[in-house]
Amino acid sequence: MSTNETSAAKATTANKTTPNSASFKMSAAKKSAAKKSGSKKSGAKKTGAKKTGAKKGGSKKPSGGAKPPVTPHPLKVSDRKHVKIRMYNVGFGDAFLLVVPHKERDRKVLVDCGVHSSGPNVKHSISEMARQIVADVTETDGVPRIDVVICTHRHQDHVSGFRDSSIWETVEVAEVWMPWTEDPKDPEARRIRETQSKTAKHLTAALSAKQKRLGASGANARQLAALAEIKELVDNSLTNAEAMFTLHEGFTGDPRRRYLPYKTHSRNSFKPRVLPGVTVHLMGPSRDFEVIRDMDPPKGKSYLRLMDAAAATDEQHTPFHSNWWIKISEFNFPELRLAPADVERIKDVGEGQELAVAVALEKAVNGTSLMIMFQIGKAYLLFPGDAQWGTWNAALNHPDWRPLLERTTFYKIGHHGSHNATPVEFVEEVLGKDFSAMASTRHMAKWKFIPKTELMEALRKKSKSVVRSDKPDPTDPPGFKREPDLFVETELKI
Amino acid sequence: MAKKNLNYVQPPPARRPLKIYAFDPMLGRTPENRITIDIPNERLAPGPQGERVEVIDFDGANQFYYPPVNLEDPAILMQNGLEPTESDPRFHQQMVYAVAMKVIENFDIALGRRINFTRGRLRLFPHAFQGANAFYDRSLLGVLFGYFRADKIDPGPNLPGQTVFTCLSHDIIAHEVTHALVDRLRRFFMEPSNHDVSAFHEGFSDIVAIFQHFSFPAILRRVIQETRGDLRSPTEMINLACEFGYATGAGQALRSAVEPDAKPDPKLYQTITEPHERGAILVAAVFDAFFTTYQRRIQDLIRIATGGTGRLPEGDLHPDLVNRIAAEATRTSQTVLTMCIRAFDYLPPVDVTFGDYLRALVTADFELNPTDDYGLRAAMIESFRSRGIYADNVSSLAEDSLLLTRPHGLEPIHIERNLAMLLMEKTQEFSRAPSALRKEAAMKKSPTFKPSAQVGGFAEAAPAEEAFEIGLGGAISGMLTGYARRNAADLGLNPNTTKYPVRVLGFHPVFRISPRGQLLVELVAQFSQRDGERRDEFGGVSLRGGTTLVAAADGTVRYVAAKPLPSKDYKGPWKREAELRERRQTGFVRECDRNDAALAWTSEGNYKRRIAASMNFSAIHSGVLR
Repeated sequence: MSTNETSAAKATTANKTTPNSASFKMSAAKKSAAKKSGSKKSGAKKTGAKKTGAKKGGSKKPSGGAKPPVTPHPLKVSDRKHVKIRMYNVGFGDAFLLVVPHKERDRKVLVDCGVHSSGPNVKHSISEMARQIVADVTETDGVPRIDVVICTHRHQDHVSGFRDSSIWETVEVAEVWMPWTEDPKDPEARRIRETQSKTAKHLTAALSAKQKRLGASGANARQLAALAEIKELVDNSLTNAEAMFTLHEGFTGDPRRRYLPYKTHSRNSFKPRVLPGVTVHLMGPSRDFEVIRDMDPPKGKSYLRLMDAAAATDEQHTPFHSNWWIKISEFNFPELRLAPADVERIKDVGEGQELAVAVALEKAVNGTSLMIMFQIGKAYLLFPGDAQWGTWNAALNHPDWRPLLERTTFYKIGHHGSHNATPVEFVEEVLGKDFSAMASTRHMAKWKFIPKTELMEALRKKSKSVVRSDKPDPTDPPGFKREPDLFVETELKI
Repeated sequence: MAKKNLNYVQPPPARRPLKIYAFDPMLGRTPENRITIDIPNERLAPGPQGERVEVIDFDGANQFYYPPVNLEDPAILMQNGLEPTESDPRFHQQMVYAVAMKVIENFDIALGRRINFTRGRLRLFPHAFQGANAFYDRSLLGVLFGYFRADKIDPGPNLPGQTVFTCLSHDIIAHEVTHALVDRLRRFFMEPSNHDVSAFHEGFSDIVAIFQHFSFPAILRRVIQETRGDLRSPTEMINLACEFGYATGAGQALRSAVEPDAKPDPKLYQTITEPHERGAILVAAVFDAFFTTYQRRIQDLIRIATGGTGRLPEGDLHPDLVNRIAAEATRTSQTVLTMCIRAFDYLPPVDVTFGDYLRALVTADFELNPTDDYGLRAAMIESFRSRGIYADNVSSLAEDSLLLTRPHGLEPIHIERNLAMLLMEKTQEFSRAPSALRKEAAMKKSPTFKPSAQVGGFAEAAPAEEAFEIGLGGAISGMLTGYARRNAADLGLNPNTTKYPVRVLGFHPVFRISPRGQLLVELVAQFSQRDGERRDEFGGVSLRGGTTLVAAADGTVRYVAAKPLPSKDYKGPWKREAELRERRQTGFVRECDRNDAALAWTSEGNYKRRIAASMNFSAIHSGVLR
C-alpha cells in the first residue's frame, strides 16, 4: 500500500507535466500508468499497460473523434481508518466508486456507470468517463481491477458506460452484482424484463409512427417537440442490450455474477469474500407481490395493447364502411352539429397518453433497483439506486432494515434527487444528523423538479455535507474534494 | 301522419322497447344475450335526441360524422329498434341511448325526483376517439367512447385485431353515465381530497352497472339455472366489461363484483389506493350484502321445493322454481340499487369517504324502512365491517350510532310561500307532458368546451347558475344562506362566514312512498365553504367544507352530514372532525406524490394542480377505463 501511495504521488506530478496534445495522449497514459507502478516490477507492468493502451486505442478508432487524454486520478485512501467515495460527474446519470482500505490491496466497488442520452456531462462523453474510471482503477501492476461491479438497474443512465465492452475487457472483476430481475434463469424475472422492454419497444414504435404522421400533416412544432421529449424518456428504458451484455459476459477474470437479493432473507446480510471487512445488506428489490407489481408498468397489459394498436395503425383506422362517412361540411343535422371548439377538444382526446405510459415504464424499471447498504466499521453507506416507494416502503417497515437505515452515514441520493426516490419519512424520521450525501445529477430546464429543491433543502437542514455532481454551489462543504468536471469525492471514518 | 281524428288518437305509450346487447358483442354472439329492454318513452329527434340525453356520432379521429338514427321511423319502431350489429353505427347510437336512459331512470326512481342536467343535455359520443378507454368529460357535458383494435397476440375470444367498440358494452355505458350523474349530484366529488373520493366515483359507477344486469330476466333465469342459484359464481352477471378485458389482453373481464377468493380482506382497504381497485372494495361490500339478503329471501322457496330439506337435488332446477328465484333476485337487486342511489341525498357535499357512504345508506334506508324486514341494512353494515370500512366519529357499529347526526333544538327552516309553491311545482313534474319539458330542455344550450375550464380550476370556474340543483328564486337561496349563517356552528360550517362565505349548492324536495304506504316528503339542502388560499398546498384542490341538511316537510332539521372546515369556534365533535380531515388531506397529497413518478418529469404548472388533474377522467390514466 505504501508503495502505491508514493507512486500515486508521482503519478500526479507526472500528470501535471503531461502534454495535452492529441498525438501524445496515448503514450502519456502509458507513461503515467508505468510511473504509477513504481519500482517494484515495472517491466511486467509496462507490458500490461501497453496492452491496455493498445486495446483502448483500437476500440476508440471506430467510435471516431479525437481521443481525449486520460489522466488517472489515483484512489488512495488517506489511511486505513477511512473509506473513500468518489462520485464521477457523468451528467444526468450515476457512477460511484467506493474504495475500502485493506492492508494488502485496497478493494474497489463500482456502483453503476451511465448517463442519460439527453443529459451528459458537458465536457466529457460517457465513454471518456468510462475510460477515466478504468484508468483510475488501474493498479500498480498496470492491471485495472474492480472487486465488485454493481448494476443497480438496467436504465441507460446507470449502465450506458458499459455499452462499449472493449473499454472494460481488460478490467479484472471478481464479482458482478445485479438485481434479481436480471437473472437469466428466473422465469418471473424474465417475465418482468420482457414486459418492460416490450412496452419500451412498442412505445418507441408508436411515437415514431406518430412523429411521422404529425410531421406529414405539418403539425405544430410544439407537439413534435413534446413527442421527442417523451421519446428521450423512453430511450432510457430500452433494453440497453450492449451494456447489459458487458455486465453479463464482459470483463476479465471470469467474474461471478450474483442476482440479488436472495430468495432466502437470512442470506441478504453477508460478508462477501472479495470485500474483507465489509458487510453487505441487500434491502431490495423485494420479491413481494406488491413490490413486483410496481415493476410491471401499471396495468401493464393494457398499456402494452394500447401501444401495440397504436403502432399497428400507421394507416388510418376507420371502423365503418365508407358508406357511413359524412364530412363535417356535409352533415346537415344542425341540432347535432358540434361547435368548432368541441370538435377541437374531441380531436385531442385520444392524444397525450404516451407520456403517462413513458412515466409508468420509467417508474417500473426504477422499481427493479438494487438497494444496498455497505456496513464498514462505523460507516453505513446506503446506495438505493433509483428505488421507488414500493422498495423503500418495504425496507422502512422491515424490522431488520429500519435500524440499519437509521444509522446511515452516507446516502447516495436516489434518482438524481427527484422527489419520488427519497421518501420524506426517510429524511425526516429515519436519517440522523451525522451523514454525508451525494446527488449525481444535472439540472435540465425540461425536468424542472430534478433535483427536487425541497428534498435537497431538507437534507441540508440535517447535515451540511450534501453535494451535487453538477456543482451549483460556489464552494463545496468541508470534507469534499472536487476535480472540476470529473468527480467529487469524500472520505468517511470507519 | 296526415289528418288526425282526435277521437281516435292513441295516447303515446309509456315505455319504448329497444334492442341492445345485454353485455357486449363478444357475449352477444349467443342469441339470448341480445335482448330488448324498455325505457320511458319520449319523443325523439334523429340522434337520438331526447329531453335529457342526445347522441352525437362524431368521430374525432377520422373527422367525420355518422348518420344519426331516427328511432321514430316506423320501419325501426316496428321492430323495437335496429337489430344488434357491430357494423351499423346507428345501432351503436341506439344502444348507447337505451342504456343511458335506463341508468337515468334508475336514478329518477330511487331519488324520487327527475334528475335534469342543469347545463343542457348529456351528450353521448359513441365513436369519439381511438383508444381503449371511455370517459365522462365535464367540460363537454359528455361521455366519450373510444374504439380500438383487439390485442393481436392475446385477444381472448375476439378476433385478433378486430375493432372493439366501448360504446357497445352495457357496463361501460352504464359506468360512464353514472359518472355524469354523480357529478351532477355532487360536483365536488371530482376533487380528490382523500383516497376514497375518486374510488367512490368508480366504485359507485360499477355498482350501477352490475345491478342493472339483474334487470334482464331471461338471462338471469339462465344464470340461476346454470349456477343453481349461486349468483356469486363467476358468470357474466357479476363480471364487468368482458369483451374489453379480453380484447385488451388481460385474459379476463375488466372487473368483478366478487373478490378473487370470495373472502373479504380488511387489509385491502388499508393498502390499495388506485381508484378502480379501491372502488372494487366498495362494489364487493355492496354485492356481498345483496347476496346475503338474496339468500335469506330464497331460503323458504328452496325449502318448499325440496320438501323441507333445503338441499337441491341433482340435475336441472324446476323452471317454476327458477322463475321464483329470479323474481326474488330481481327484487332484491332493485332494492339494493335503489338504496345505493337514494343514499346520495344523505351524503356530505364534499370529501366523501366509504364510511360516509355507509352512514348515508343506513340513514336513507332507516327513514324509509325502519324495521329492516329482510335484514338488508344489517347485512350492509356487516359486509362493510368485514372489509375494514368504518365511519369517522362513530362510537359503535350499531345501527343507531351509524345514523347521521340528529341535531337537537336547531332552528327549523322557515317554509315560506314560494317554497310551498316550489313543492307543488315539483310534484307536478313527473306527470307533466313530455313536450313541455322538451321545450324547456331545448332552451338550455349545451355548454361549449372552454379550455380554461379543463383540469384544475374547473370548480371555481363554474358559472353561478350551475350551483343550484333547481332554478332557485333569489328569495329561497337568500333565506337558506341566512339560515346557514345564523346556525353555522351547529351545522358544522365555519362561523367566520365573512372569510369563508357559505354557498348554497343545492336545494330540493324529495318525495317517496314508504313500504307502509305513507308519502314521505323531505327537503335536502347542501352548503359549502372553501379555503381557497391553500390550494397549492393540496396540489390544486381547495380545502373545502360543507354540510348536507335533511329537513322534514315542516322544516324541522332531521339530519346533518357535515364536513367542517377548521375553526376554533366549534363546540363538540366538529373541531376534532375538522382537524382530522385536514390531516388526512395533507397525508393524502403526500402519499399521492411519493407514488407519482410523473411529477419528476412534469412542468411547473402541472405540478401545482397535480392532485386536481388526477381526477380528470380523460386520457391521463388511459387503458384503465375511467
